[in-house]
Formats: sequence, structure tokens, C-alpha cells
Amino acid sequence: MAFEDDSFLTRPVDRRTFIKRGVAFVGATAFTPPAYLRAVFDEDSRPLSAPSVANFAASKKHVMVVLQLAGGNDGLNTVIPVGDRAYFDARPAIAQNPEASLPLGQGLALNPVMTGMKALYDRGQLGVVLGVGYPNPNRSHFRSMDIWHSASMDEQADTGWVGRLLDATKNEQSSLWRAANIGQSLPLSLESNESFVPSVGSVPEYVLQTDGGPQEGARRTQNFVQLHRAQADNLATQAAYGGQLAFLSRTGLEAYQSTVDLHAAVGAYTTSVTYPTTPLANAFKTAAQLITSNLSTGIVYITTGGFDTHSGQTNVQNGLLANVSNALLAFYDDLQAQGVADQVTTLAWSEFGRRVKENASRGTDHGTAGPMFVVGGGVRSGLHGEQPSMTNLDNGDLKFTTDFRSVYASVIAQRFGIDPKDVLGASYPTLPLYE
Amino acid sequence: MAMTTDRQRIQHLLRRAGFGYSPEELREYLALGVEGTVDRLLNPERVDDSASENAALALREKALQDRQVLLATWHTRLVLTKRPLLEKMTLFWHDHFANSIRKVNAPAFMLQQNETLRAGALGKFRDLLQAITRDPAMMVFLDNRDNVAKAPNENYARELFELFTLGQGVLYTEKDIKESARALTGWRVTAEKPTPDATFNVPTGVVFTPRNFDNGTKTIFGQSGRFGDEDVVRMVTARKECAELIGRKMWQFFAVKNPSADMLRRTTDAYFANDTSIREMLRVILLSPEMYSEEAYRWRISSPVEHVIQTVRTFGLTDRIQRVGRDTQVQGQALFDPPSVAGWDWGEAWINSNTALYRANFVNDVTRRGKPGTTATVDVAALLQANNATRTAEQAVDFALDLVVGGDVDAATRSTLIEHIGGSHYDFAQAARSGQLQGLLYLVLSMPLAQLV
Repeated sequence: MAFEDDSFLTRPVDRRTFIKRGVAFVGATAFTPPAYLRAVFDEDSRPLSAPSVANFAASKKHVMVVLQLAGGNDGLNTVIPVGDRAYFDARPAIAQNPEASLPLGQGLALNPVMTGMKALYDRGQLGVVLGVGYPNPNRSHFRSMDIWHSASMDEQADTGWVGRLLDATKNEQSSLWRAANIGQSLPLSLESNESFVPSVGSVPEYVLQTDGGPQEGARRTQNFVQLHRAQADNLATQAAYGGQLAFLSRTGLEAYQSTVDLHAAVGAYTTSVTYPTTPLANAFKTAAQLITSNLSTGIVYITTGGFDTHSGQTNVQNGLLANVSNALLAFYDDLQAQGVADQVTTLAWSEFGRRVKENASRGTDHGTAGPMFVVGGGVRSGLHGEQPSMTNLDNGDLKFTTDFRSVYASVIAQRFGIDPKDVLGASYPTLPLYE
Repeated sequence: MAMTTDRQRIQHLLRRAGFGYSPEELREYLALGVEGTVDRLLNPERVDDSASENAALALREKALQDRQVLLATWHTRLVLTKRPLLEKMTLFWHDHFANSIRKVNAPAFMLQQNETLRAGALGKFRDLLQAITRDPAMMVFLDNRDNVAKAPNENYARELFELFTLGQGVLYTEKDIKESARALTGWRVTAEKPTPDATFNVPTGVVFTPRNFDNGTKTIFGQSGRFGDEDVVRMVTARKECAELIGRKMWQFFAVKNPSADMLRRTTDAYFANDTSIREMLRVILLSPEMYSEEAYRWRISSPVEHVIQTVRTFGLTDRIQRVGRDTQVQGQALFDPPSVAGWDWGEAWINSNTALYRANFVNDVTRRGKPGTTATVDVAALLQANNATRTAEQAVDFALDLVVGGDVDAATRSTLIEHIGGSHYDFAQAARSGQLQGLLYLVLSMPLAQLV
């Protein structure tokens, strides 16, 4: 249990403290609309007067979507070394059919279900980074995820690499929606010292729910706002209750207004693309809504799970990979149609690959290195790095050939134009991921 | 607000030293007066709690292997108990000795720890610290089971001083930690399957293994000897700084944000005069004038567990126990899963735009019009009828405000609520039918003031 030392009213306005808990206040006395309602600015701090996808396209701003494949995706059945006998020897029961696999060149092929990503590859919008991992790999899901999230080997690390990227690129005009997590709880990747990141389960669910039918429900919402605003405006209230009543009133009011703001901003979104009906495709559709709205959302984080395939792997993993592949294709079809695909990079990672040899349950156990995907217009399509050897193994696991922090560093440097060291704390060799 | 009546003091006391009150509970405690209430809260063994105990015991076997049932077991106690301070202190100690099932990864171990914390919650702090030092879940969580003479592991020793007793950098040196780690060597956890075909283990004991114990001389806080874990616990709990750290946390949890040096001295005195008694420290706090001062009044944002349990208890929503886990988790607090060994961040950290929405939407869910005969939601019309508060809009509003926020609202808020249920055109049957009465409770429970304890 730890309490802050000072009440929020006696503290000078400190953006860092306020934002950490999800609210930005401009002044402590009079109620003013929250920052994200007042204006949205481009990178040169010019207000975007008539916000729209056209403005986003004109801004040339770069957006990053991070896709986490939680559970440890089996990289060898994703990007398959079809030209290597050792693959078939190690996996008599679960090797994918080489004839049906989708060739990438260099003896590698995508899993046969990944037709969507193969289309992106052929369109020049998919980079595959081979053999990504880190030294002394940890085979615990939680520990390894923490390492990838924080980009640090420090067990005490409490900020994520994306969170630090947000801190390093923020300015006073930054929209509170500049990053969004599609999901219920914030991943460590997005934890930062100074930047607020809302979590949105789905746009339709990010609402203040009031039951009671249309008329009574509307009155409840109206009076909810009224009761919060009355307290937020009331100076006597602010001085009492250790300042906490005013804090609660403002946050409640801003939470409500942020729902209204979100729905107004994404309301203009239309698409000619039919997304698959999976939760993952829905998350990407939400990402498209946020990115192309006037919320100036520059980073979106999406998590999808189920990759921990210790038994009966083939059906499970094929289903998951098909979902990922189809969702990504719909997302980029949508962005392409709106003319902004070149500005949006999607980075897909998993906390580890799996063991080379299959186990006795037609599955695979926790392993080490695996492929990462870098998707989007402007990406240098093709294979990056080096496929690990199937025979020169480390205790039955692949030896990584590219440090995951090199991939982070490449995106940070080549898309956000800042020194990756400011985010990662150290320098890593970069790869030529973009044209 | 200064608390001037016993009614206000007892309502405040029950929010802090318990989880609020139903109308019936409030009447019972009012009859006891402030001192009588404190006395009953501090002596839970005198209160029959068999209903809660039996309901929790019925879940025990399943809880040993199922995380959801483990949660339901504690939620059941929190909702049903007639010993609210005992559960509040169990929560306090869970936050203090914060272990997570994510690392421990065995519901049986977490259940045993929960029972250990409850058994020692009001006893002697030295005994509680000794018990937790040899608690199987703690031995896994802070690695003391791996702490052996040949390869000492300092993880437990460090947190023992830094978080559990003295505070960061207070009094001790790195050498004290290293020497204490040596004294804490030699213990391991034994566990076995409860039945031959079970797929999980339950802890069966903590065993001392002489060959893993470092029997050499250690120097801790300037004293030397062939110390073991009991010596470390004895020495550290004899420090004034330990009494102050525990005292400060209790003052903050129950009374004021910034306890004065004099207040800390009073709890420290109680600690040493009563052989490290937690109960006697609590008695000092709960009977102090500061406990009922303006400074103590509703400055603290309720945690999600406090908010949900208080709501469920106030309205007797026993059909909702199975949903408490989800309700609290989305608001930011899942029992048995604190974010780190330092416990949860309390205060403003509980509230951001997401959790604010989840709190309000939880209230919306409990004030939905429910199926007749179930207690997953509140039937406001029936509640008002049972408490003779149906006659006028003012009467209905004042009843709801008294129950939820002790009647402490400004005239504008009260009048918004009166208007919501019809104002001068109020008609009970009409207000019930139109959903306005359910709406009244939605508005009262979602008010900013109702988020403060």
C-alpha cells in the first residue's frame, strides 16, 4: 500500500503525475474541456481544423500497430523451412505439407493457411525478420513477455518500450488518444512515466452504460454528468475531502466525455472492406477507426492469444494463423483504399518460438527464437536476417540470429526519427526494414 | 465534514474498519455505541460467524486446485462475514505481504496463506511475521525455499526489512541483509497430492533441513550469534522503526493520510506495551479523537474490492458473489494477484478514465431491474418499502443518501435526485414502474462521494 504524499489540489499542476493516472488537467480551479476535446495538432503543432482521413494522409505521420501473439507462436510452422530435411525429421507428425505451403524464397514458405499475408508479401508490404530472440532465453511465458515488453533484462523494469517511445515523442499538444490499447488491461509495453494510454475493449463497449430504457436511461446519463460537473465546479468541494472528491468528479466527467469524443470521432469512419468476423479482425477495424479519426492516434496495441500449443497443435495454430493473416489483409486493404497504408506499420511478435522437435502429444514445448513480421506500405518486403540452423542447436532449441531490440531500434529510427538509444537505453544494430 | 453525531461516527467506522453496512447492521451497531462497536470489531472471536465460515468451508476442497473457486472462497467470506474488521485486516495483510498466484501458481498455497493471514490478523505482529516467514506461498514467492547455506538467496531477507518491517534503507545495511539471509537458510516446503489421482499438490509442511542451514555466526544489527529465522524475526520486530512502519500504515488505512509523530508514538507504545499486539494498536487508532476528525473523513478513494464488497453487503446481493471477481478485476484489483511484492498502489492510482467507467458500469449493473426473487441486483422499490421510505420523493432520496453516503450532500445534489424521481409530482408506484427509483440508486452509488471511504 502506497499513498501519494500530497493531495492533488496542493500540488502544482504537474502533467507527469496527472497523466500517469489517466487525466490531463489544464488548471485546478475552473473546469475546461479536456485537452483531447479542445484541439488535435499535427506534428508541427498545427491544429487540424477539419479532421479527417485526408488530414492524416496529408500529415504523412507514421503510425505503429503492435500485434502480440501471446503464448509462444511456433515459428517453424509459421515460416517453414521446407527446403530443410531436418525440419521433417524433427516433426514427423506435425510437419506442414511443403506442396501447399506458400513460398517466400530461400527454402522458406508461409504456412498454407496464411494466404492473406502471402498476398501482402506479393504486394510488397510484408517483411519477415528471421530468427529473432535474445541471449540466455527464458522459457517462462511471463518472464519472456516482460523482457520483450520492457526491452530490458532488468526484472524490476516497470516501463515498456512503446511507453518510453511515447514519452520521448510527446509534446504539450499531444492528444490523449495518441496511443490506444485494444483490450481490457494495459500491457507492460505501454507502461510509461508520462503518457496516458486508454484501453478500449471495443469501440461499442467504451461507453457509460445506463439502463432503464431510452428515456430513463438518457435522464440517468444526464444526471450522472450533472452530479459530477456540480462537484467539479464547486470550489468548496475541491478544498474538502483531501481534494479527492474534485479529482473523482473531474475524472468521471472526462471519462464520460472521452466516450462521447471517441464515438463522435470514429462516427465518420466508413470502409468498403469487409473485415472477417473474428475478435482479432474487429480489433484491427477498431485500430483503423482510431487511426483515421481526428483523435490523432499514432500507436495501437493489439493482443491475441492461444499460441501455447503443447498438444494437438496443427488445428489450433492453423486456425490462429489464418485469423492473423486474414485480419492483417483486411486491415491493409482498408488502409490502402483510404490512401494511408504507407503510413502504418504493423509489428507482430511472440514471446518465444517453440522447440524444434515435436513432443509426444502432437504439439511443441517452449523454445526460443522465432520470426517477426513487419507489415505495411513502405516496408522493404522480403526476408530479413538469417534463418537459424535446424541442426546447430542450443539444447534442442534454435539459436537466435537477430536481437528483437534491433527490430525495435529499426522501427524507432526509421519511422519515428529519434535515436533508439533514448527508448531502449542502449544501441543495437539496425536492419534496413523500410524502402 | 466534522463528525458530530454517533451515527456519523459509526457509519465512518464501519466504512473504514469494515465494508459499510446494511440498514439492519447499522441499527445493530448504533445500539452498541462507538465504543461498543469498536469492542465488537476488535473481538471477532466473540461473534458467531458460522454462516460465513460454513459457506467458505464448503468451497475449500475445490479452492485448493481452482483459482476461480479460491477467489470465490474469500469473496464469500468478505460478503457474508459478521467479523468485518477481521476480513479488513486480512486484506490489509494481503496487501502488506503481497504475494501473487502468478508466481506461486498453486491455489492451495494461496489459500493456506490467506488462512494464515486471517488467523494472525489481530494477534501479535511477531507471531504473524514468523508464520509468514515459514508460509509455503511466501517461501515460493520470495524464493526462501531456494535459500541454502551453499548458495544464499537474499530475496526474502531484503523484502523482510525493506517492505515488511523497517522501510527502505532504514537502519539496516547490505551486510545485515546478507547475514540475515544466512540465518534464514535451511527451510523447504513439502507438498503432496491430496489424493492419489489428484493432479495438483497441497502444502503439507515446511521442513527444516540441517544440512542446508548455515550454522555459522552471523552479525545482525550489531549483535552476533548462530542465528536462525526466529532470531531474525525477534530482532527486527524489537525495533522501534518496525512498530512505526506498521503503525503508519494502519493510521493511513483506517484514519488519516499523514499521521503525526505523536500519533505514531501512541501506536508504538501500544505495540511494545502489549508484546507487539496488532489488536491493541488498532484499539488506539479506532478510539482516537483523530479517527473521527475532519481530516479523517472520506479522504481515501475506496479500492475496487472495498467498493464492490461494500455495495454487495449494503444491499445483501448474495447472488452476486460469483461475479465479484470479474467486477473487481476490471476495476483494477484482483485478490491473490497484487501487481508486485509492494502491494497495490492506493489512492488516486485506482482511478483513470477506464476504471472510472467500469465503476459506473458496475453500479449500472447492480441497479438493473433484476429477476424477482434473486439478489444479484437491488430492488429499490422493495428496499424503500421495507424501510418505510416510500411516502415522498424527499423521504426516498434521504433514505438512499443516508444509506450510501451518510446523508452528506449539498442541496443542489439532493434536489437533482428529488427531481429525478418526480419532484413535486412524485408517485411511488409510478416512480417504481418507470425505473426512476432504480435510477435514483444508480445516481447515488455512482456519485463521486460514494467512491470515498
